[in-house]
Amino acid sequence: MGGRWWMKWYSWVILVVHVFAILIFTRGFLLTRTELPYYSHCSDVSQSPCFTSSNTNHSWNTPAVDRLVIIVLDAIRFDFVAPSVFFQEKKAWMDKLSVLQKMAFSEGSSAKIFKAIADPPTTSLQRLKGLTTGGLPTFIDVGNSFGAPAIAEDNFIHQLVENGKRVMMMGDDTWIQLFPHHFNKSHPYPSFNVKDLHTVDNGCIEHLFPALYQEDWDVLIAHFLGVDHAGHIFGVDSMPMIEKLEQYNLMLEKVIKVLESQSEPGGLHENTLLLVMGDHGQTLNGDHGGGSAEEVETSIFAMSFKKPPTSIPSELDTSSCKLDLDGKKKCTSSIQQLDFAVTVSALLGIPFPFGSIGRVNPELYALGAGTWNLDGINAWDSSNLSELEEWLLNYVNVLCINSWQVKRYIDVYSASSVIGFSSEDLLHISNVYVEAEQNWAHTTKNLLFHRNERSHTLLPAFTRQIDFYFSFLSNVSELARSKWTEFNLKLMGIGLGTMLISLFIIFPAIRRVNNLYTTSLLSPGVEEGKVASFLLATTSIVRLRSSIMKKKMLFEAVSFLLLISILRFTIEVGLSKQAATSLFLSASPSWMLGVAPGHPLWTYMAEIGPILAVILLAFLLCRTISSSIFGGLWKYINLGTILSYVLIAVYWGAESSIPTLALLLQGMATGHIPRMIYAIGLGQLLLVAVGHLFDKDSELDYKRSLVMKTVAILSAWSPTIIIVSGKQGSLVALALIIGGYCIVRLESMEDSDSDAIFTFNPLAITQWNLLAVCLFFATGHWCAFDGLRYGAAFIGFDEFVLVRQAILLAIDTFGFSHILPVLGLPLLAVCNFLFGQNNHGKDFRFNQLSQMYMMYGLITATMVTVTVICVTIHRRHLMVWGLFAPKFVFDVAGLVLTDALICLASLLYSGGPTGERVPKTER
Amino acid sequence: MADQSKKEEEEEKENPSISISVPQAFLVHLISGLGLAISLWVAHNLYSINLVSHSSITLRLIWIVESATVILIYSRFRIDPQQCSYLKAVVRGILALPVGALVNALGAIALGAPVGIQYLPKTINWSLLMSSFTVAPAASVFGLSWTYWQRIFAQTKPNGPLEYMICIPAHGAVIGGWFGAWPMPLDWERPWQEWPVCVTYGAMTGYLVGMIVSSGFVLANGRRQRLKED
Repeated sequence: MGGRWWMKWYSWVILVVHVFAILIFTRGFLLTRTELPYYSHCSDVSQSPCFTSSNTNHSWNTPAVDRLVIIVLDAIRFDFVAPSVFFQEKKAWMDKLSVLQKMAFSEGSSAKIFKAIADPPTTSLQRLKGLTTGGLPTFIDVGNSFGAPAIAEDNFIHQLVENGKRVMMMGDDTWIQLFPHHFNKSHPYPSFNVKDLHTVDNGCIEHLFPALYQEDWDVLIAHFLGVDHAGHIFGVDSMPMIEKLEQYNLMLEKVIKVLESQSEPGGLHENTLLLVMGDHGQTLNGDHGGGSAEEVETSIFAMSFKKPPTSIPSELDTSSCKLDLDGKKKCTSSIQQLDFAVTVSALLGIPFPFGSIGRVNPELYALGAGTWNLDGINAWDSSNLSELEEWLLNYVNVLCINSWQVKRYIDVYSASSVIGFSSEDLLHISNVYVEAEQNWAHTTKNLLFHRNERSHTLLPAFTRQIDFYFSFLSNVSELARSKWTEFNLKLMGIGLGTMLISLFIIFPAIRRVNNLYTTSLLSPGVEEGKVASFLLATTSIVRLRSSIMKKKMLFEAVSFLLLISILRFTIEVGLSKQAATSLFLSASPSWMLGVAPGHPLWTYMAEIGPILAVILLAFLLCRTISSSIFGGLWKYINLGTILSYVLIAVYWGAESSIPTLALLLQGMATGHIPRMIYAIGLGQLLLVAVGHLFDKDSELDYKRSLVMKTVAILSAWSPTIIIVSGKQGSLVALALIIGGYCIVRLESMEDSDSDAIFTFNPLAITQWNLLAVCLFFATGHWCAFDGLRYGAAFIGFDEFVLVRQAILLAIDTFGFSHILPVLGLPLLAVCNFLFGQNNHGKDFRFNQLSQMYMMYGLITATMVTVTVICVTIHRRHLMVWGLFAPKFVFDVAGLVLTDALICLASLLYSGGPTGERVPKTER
Repeated sequence: MADQSKKEEEEEKENPSISISVPQAFLVHLISGLGLAISLWVAHNLYSINLVSHSSITLRLIWIVESATVILIYSRFRIDPQQCSYLKAVVRGILALPVGALVNALGAIALGAPVGIQYLPKTINWSLLMSSFTVAPAASVFGLSWTYWQRIFAQTKPNGPLEYMICIPAHGAVIGGWFGAWPMPLDWERPWQEWPVCVTYGAMTGYLVGMIVSSGFVLANGRRQRLKED
């Protein structure tokens, strides 16, 4: 009898242990780079060994441009900007921003297109941080993306404000969250409503053009979000995306015209630099966040309205060129986003951000016309230098300051941070730096000595010096990229150890375990869906074989195998959606059915199929509750669900593209249906809780109450999960029911040869768990942040409220793979009794159920432990942030959810507080 | 023990033709194995193709050689020589080849083999090879008598050397293919991880291992028989 309390107590202990282990491990694994509270100051530069500006008003180096216009187009892919000759095949979305190409490739232009390479994670917030601080992002900030905190580190916006520049901002309100007190003027617009393609852009355009005629700013930032949102909702290859790009093209054309019209000497934009840039790219499905080439490759277009005199030496030119159809040469350069902050700071003549580890990019720097005269440096007599030499001298000096600043940061960081760089690495870096410094001192001495002779060695000497600095700076950024992400191995070890111990706590509880999992799923997360379906198919083939052997339930075995084959294909479609190269696109979430779009029969099927499935579900539920065991309150709960199903059918019917159906249902207020369904679901859950509390007096036996409760809670959850999942939801629910039924039936086939130790067959639980994993992938999810279906959060709601939308998103993500399978597990136990005719007491049943739950929990925990071990092993892997860390986060969230649900289930299914009743021997 | 031997004797009386001597069994396995080895050798050295570079053509070569070898050789040991001529046994082996291939292909697709027009020839050739490992010899020997099929493929309870020789290598090939699929999802980006290269290697290895094991069983069986006779 003590078993009941023991089981409850047990599941809570497991939950607490898991949470503890995960917290500890996460603290060690998800990286925290120490943010230093130091800022660069104008006076610092006197400590550097470089030539300083003669004019003490200007700090660090002479400003090369007076005003700066930064237009950020969120999620601009490189192939949106670059000419289509750079790619294998011209796609519909290419060459739409034609004005940028026209400017960049016209004769004698002062504009250039860069391929900008971002550091993952490629979310807007992370990128804005990286762009302004010039540092590397750490993974933990991804979590903060929903509540953006102000940047605590030194950044170039801060430097602008410190040095008396006036900054104006419009567009994405993330900037305001990052820099709450920095802007002179700001026109922020909410960025989270993904469905809204136009509010932010129209607001930007409205304020941008008047501002271009004003004098009250030095730096203007306009952040457009339309392309990002169009990508999230419609994908890249879609009409809204092309319309957005065309709109941007017109807008940019106008901006350039306005700026050009005022660029005559003495005009407002005499020495203005225009930067049109993306913060990150996107995949063809409009996702971003990871580290794939499509996501990290974005673009920077730079145009100076004061023409620089000549071009820079070819040694510094990184551009790659292609001939277009007319035989015209088109070149684009490339730049690291890491270098952006320091290059822009150098152009504006402000101190470089303290924590920046980028280098001043020569090609972007050379576009600033002011970098071509040397009036700032007094030590040199510039009269006998050519223009190119003059620029090189200036650039070498900027690099000198740049290197000194980076070296200072590295020194301060390793002195003040607990986990610094290793001493060998520091020594190596110091050596490279000292070598560069000595060489420069030597060169300058030589040059100053021979200053009056026209020397031919000037150019090679400069380029050699630039090479020295480049080698130092690239050494530092390489070291930072590879080593910065420093893991706390001790905490990771403790977390992993606790996790393993938790496994061994469950282990004796169910005494014997044989599952397929322990050896499997070691492969990286991407293919997990395939592996799960492979294992599930294997178990089902084994079952089919034994059903052929026993010559019974052949139908169930074959239909189960068929179901798995269908699931397998949907998983593959989902994975191909994830694979960036795939062109498979369908705007609606019911991609399952959109396989052959275009054919009217297909669209008809795609619209009608889910509705029919919902009606079928309602019918099934009807039949279930009409059987005698359902009575009173529980019946009404299920009736509510049937109402919800009808509402879902109406809602989808009204949304469908079949005109007659839509017309028929248009009269009703369909907009409120999702909210009604959520409300009904909530009400039902409350009723279940109430019913559970007042269940004492019921004279039902345990089996009946268990069935009733399970059906009630499943039916309470299912409408919400189905509507949040979109039209695939009802089909997946049907698949879950069929799968569960087949597993139970096939399980009962094996009943005859049951052994004494186990009251159930672990194979069934394993199959159930594998089915849940398959459903996670079959519903179009995968373990990455771009695998979240953000659209689901906005079903029934248009505006963004953090908690509410987060809950909906969680329901969508974990509904079919965690909530329903865990809560529905008792059916597996109960139906066993229905089919197999063995009668046992209540406590036996309860113990069996507890064992099944523990088994289920153990399988999930084992999978997570394997993931944790993988993550630990692969912590230096290139893809750790792109692949392993998101997988870890998803698995861990799933485990905690599973544990919590098991606790809930142990409360709910324990059969009320009247545990002392004598076990009945019924029937 | 006595019961069992009595039963075996009875069965042998029922099917007198099913007996196969130990050297014969070894010879059958040797020839089957040689067929595989020769087809691989021909592919590598005469046509200079292999599974990685030209999987579909190589597979075709292997299954043609292997199925011909297997059908021709196993047809000699058909269980019903009175009703069924050698030619008829060969014909039913040939007819069973595509049927078995269909079953194998469906199984592979359920387990996650890629579908798509570019994989179609590979899948067809692979499943024909699997069929010549599994179904074709059984069809040549047993024909359509369902009890044998069920005993060997559903219950895995072979008795007698001939059934060992069909059952164990076939199961070996299937299990080997199943294990051969394991490296496929790993991200090593090797060409042999493609479908169906590593599955074929696994199946061939499993088949060879199965033949060695079955030879062992046949040998043990023969020794027991001899002891009984003594």
